[in-house]
Formats: sequence, C-alpha cells, structure tokens
Amino acid sequence: MLNTVLASLSEGIAPSTNSYESIATVTVGGGGSSSISFTSIPATYTHLQIRAIIRGTASATNIDSIIRFNNDSTIGNYYYYHQLYGDGSSATSNNANSDTTATLYSFAPAANATASVFGGSVLDILDYSNTNKYKTTRSLHGYDNNGNGFIILRSGLWMQTSAINRIDLTPSSNNFAEYSQFALYGIKGA
Amino acid sequence: MTSTYEKIATNTLGSAAASVTFSTISGSYTDLVLVANWGVSVNGDGTIIRFNSDTGNNYSDTELYGTGSSAASQRRSNASFIDITRAIAGDGTNIYTNAIINIQNYSNTTTYKTALLRSNLATGTYAGVAALVGLWRSTSAITSITILPASNNLLSGSTFTLYGIKAE
Amino acid sequence: MATTYTLISSVTVGSGGAANIDFTGIPSTYTDLLVKYSIRDSNNSISQNINLTFNNAGGTAYSERLLYGSGSAAQSFSSSSAANINFQYATGVAATASTFSNGEIYIPNYAGSTAKSVSVDSVVENNASGTAMGLNAGLSSNTAAITSVKLASPSGTFQQYSTAYLYGISNA
Repeated sequence: MLNTVLASLSEGIAPSTNSYESIATVTVGGGGSSSISFTSIPATYTHLQIRAIIRGTASATNIDSIIRFNNDSTIGNYYYYHQLYGDGSSATSNNANSDTTATLYSFAPAANATASVFGGSVLDILDYSNTNKYKTTRSLHGYDNNGNGFIILRSGLWMQTSAINRIDLTPSSNNFAEYSQFALYGIKGA
Repeated sequence: MTSTYEKIATNTLGSAAASVTFSTISGSYTDLVLVANWGVSVNGDGTIIRFNSDTGNNYSDTELYGTGSSAASQRRSNASFIDITRAIAGDGTNIYTNAIINIQNYSNTTTYKTALLRSNLATGTYAGVAALVGLWRSTSAITSITILPASNNLLSGSTFTLYGIKAE
Repeated sequence: MATTYTLISSVTVGSGGAANIDFTGIPSTYTDLLVKYSIRDSNNSISQNINLTFNNAGGTAYSERLLYGSGSAAQSFSSSSAANINFQYATGVAATASTFSNGEIYIPNYAGSTAKSVSVDSVVENNASGTAMGLNAGLSSNTAAITSVKLASPSGTFQQYSTAYLYGISNA
C-alpha cells in the first residue's frame, strides 16, 4: 500500500520562529546599474524570495531582465521561460528558449514609459539549496503605465542541482534605473 | 529584535461597514502585504482600494483573469480607484472572496506606487480568478489604505490584515 | 515578541514515494496558512494535478476557478461541488528529470467559522515548450476550522525529494 507522509504536531515537531528573514538589499544609485548581484548566499534557508521594483534606462517602453545562478552562463543549462500574461486586451501563454544561458526574470518599464513608473515583482525559488533538484523559478510581476502594461506569471528553469549561492540580475539592454530596488529574503523550512 | 515580516494592523468587521481604512501606516517597512477575506452586501458589487484618501483620477490597472470558461485581460486608465475585484464580484451573502495585495516600496517618495495583487472567488455568478497590477500616480508615501465596495457595504465577519516586510 | 511568519511543519518524501502529504494537528493559533510545495509525481505526463483537501473532507464541498497556461495557450476552467481542489500542479515524470513544481497555497482565516477560500499559484517547468502554470481560486464550503491539509496524488505517487512546507501567518 502506498504510504502517506504524515506531519503531525502531536509528534513533537516544534515550530521555528522568524521563518522569513531579509538577507540583502540592493538599491540602484544615480547613473543606474548594468547588473545586480547577490553573492555568498547562505545555505541556511530553504527558499529564496526576491521582491523588487524595477525600471530600465533603455530608450524603450519596457525591458526584460534575466537571471543567472552561480555565475553559470553555460549554453543549454537553462530554459528561458514559460509565461501566462495579460496585456490589457487579451490573455496569452507562450514560451521561448532563445537564450539557454539564462532564464528570464521580470518585465518592467523603461525610459519611454511615464516617468516614475516602476514595475513590481515577487520571485520565488523553492528548495534553492537542495542538491537533488533542478531549480524552478516562479514570479508574479508587471507594470501598469496608465494605458499600457502587463501582468505576468512566469517560470524558468536552471538545470543544475547545485545549491544556489549567487544570483545575478541583468537588464535586457542598458541599465537598471536609479531607485530600482532588489531585496533578497530567505525563508526557513526547518 | 525586529522581525522581517510583521503584522501592522488587522480589522475584523463585527457588523457591516461601508469601508475599512488602515491609517497612519508607518514608513519603517519596505513593502506592504494586505490579506483580505471578505464579502459584500449586494450581489454583484465589486471592491475597490484607494491610497491616502486620494479620490482623484490617479489610478490605473492591467488585469489578467479567468472566469472558469474564458481567459481574458482588461485595463482601466485614469480611474479614481484600483478595482481589486474587477473580474469578480461578491454574491451579497457569503465571505467567499480573498485577495493578497503586494505594495512594494510603498514609502518611497521618488516613485509612483505599484501594487501586485491576486484575487479569488471560486463560486457564484461572478466567480473568477485574477492577477492585477495597479498604479497610483503619486510619489507620496502611502500612509493610509481604504478598502470599500463599489457601493453598499462590506459584510460582517470580513477580515483585513496589513503586514509589513522590512528589507535590511 | 510574537512572530508573524512561522514554519509549522515540513515533509520530504523518501525513497519509494508517497501517495499523500498530510499535515495534521494544525493548531488554531495562527491566522492564515501558507503551503509552499515542490513536487514531482509518478504520472507519465509533463504535469499532474494535486488533490487538495481539508480535514480529510471530500464529498461535494469544493469549488474552483482556474486560469491556466500551457506554454502555448491561455485557458480557464472551473469545478463545482467536487471532492477536492485540484487545479494545482506537480511535475510529471515525462518532464525533464530532476525537475519539481513550484507552488504556493494561501488559506486566509483557516481557523474561522466561515467557508475557506484559497489562493493558489503553481508552475511546472520543463526543458521543452509544453508546461503547466496556473492561478487558481479555490473554496471549501465547510465552515469548520482547518486542522489538517492533505496534498494527494490523484492516481500515482509523489516522487522522492518532493517537499511541502506549512507556514502559519499570524495577525496577533
């Protein structure tokens, strides 16, 4: 008979405290930034979450940004993205694997969008230090620009079982704009 | 020791109410998370949100939603609110709707304010599931959040909790 | 000092797999429940649904509305008077090896005396164009406080290294 894995508080599993903790925060200064890095990520948490507001400096309405783990840019080590999104007129699901050296992170407004508009993003990586699993990213993100914009559920894949100890975020062109902010949080699972 | 994820305030309605307001929100956090579980007193009534009591046409949103039979997207521009149940609406009787609203960098006085939200209503005439991004075109720090039905009341027993997340 | 975001319990599936992951004896001392899960299922497909029930209750207590993406099409589905909420996803064994789904289930006011509404976001990744991702609204019409949460494979087993984590969010 197939078993049930049971977790019961009657078996004395003690709740931990402060399961959600801030690890590091990067705020982009004047002049912008071509990339953001979180390094030396400890393995003491179970999940990672990045909460961000993002704007790009490219002369465009929007930018995308990519994410790489552990400085890995090996061809074929990533699936670029799958997504489900709304653009204000229709719902679409699509995918792309045009770049297998990274996975896509977050769509955001750029210099041609209304000033002071930033995109919001919440990215979750579960079991980031589990050496039995490839790493799946899940993000809910988007921006509204009072007449255009996108809301997106997106996923990506890093096909390595290594524990994540570094995350690099890079805009698809030019820089992240001043006041963009990326906050990395750790969530305990034990 | 300061906790990263903290409850700021909670409001459980003991009787029907026209609105709920979280006021004098401290600027000491980085992000806000509002968790709502509520009903409305009139079938088909939606629910909206405003910041800092701003009733001007300073809001807009883009929404992705599913009704259970169709997937779609819609947008609202130059509005006087963000509609957190744009694609769904309460049935007038039950506390069946929930929403989780993320407002990042709410106290930043340089940027407009972007909210990411998920809303859910699994049954009824106006059932649906949605994700929405809303914009408040103000660089003011958010110090109050008001939730109210498009008309009529929020049901007794509705609950709203505001959490703060602090980045170090 | 009261803590807001607390791990209540966690489960890792061992060798041999498991038909269910069951969190029982959940105290009523929190306000909301949050389940984060990373699951691979034995079903020979890219993705497999996960059956979610509360307090071991089945019957006709559950309804849901799903917004779904396959990687090529956006669709919406519904279910009413069902025995579970099942529009959340595990990765199936036809997907890329070593890949597990990434999902989150939020249950506000789980210990209250009203029906229980649920918010689910889940994604399955795969080194190919096809996938499953969804935003799901669920509801249990049962008004009893939730004391157990079960995730079940509909027809197979959760694979070794599948994990699920139960957190309590407190507004006290």
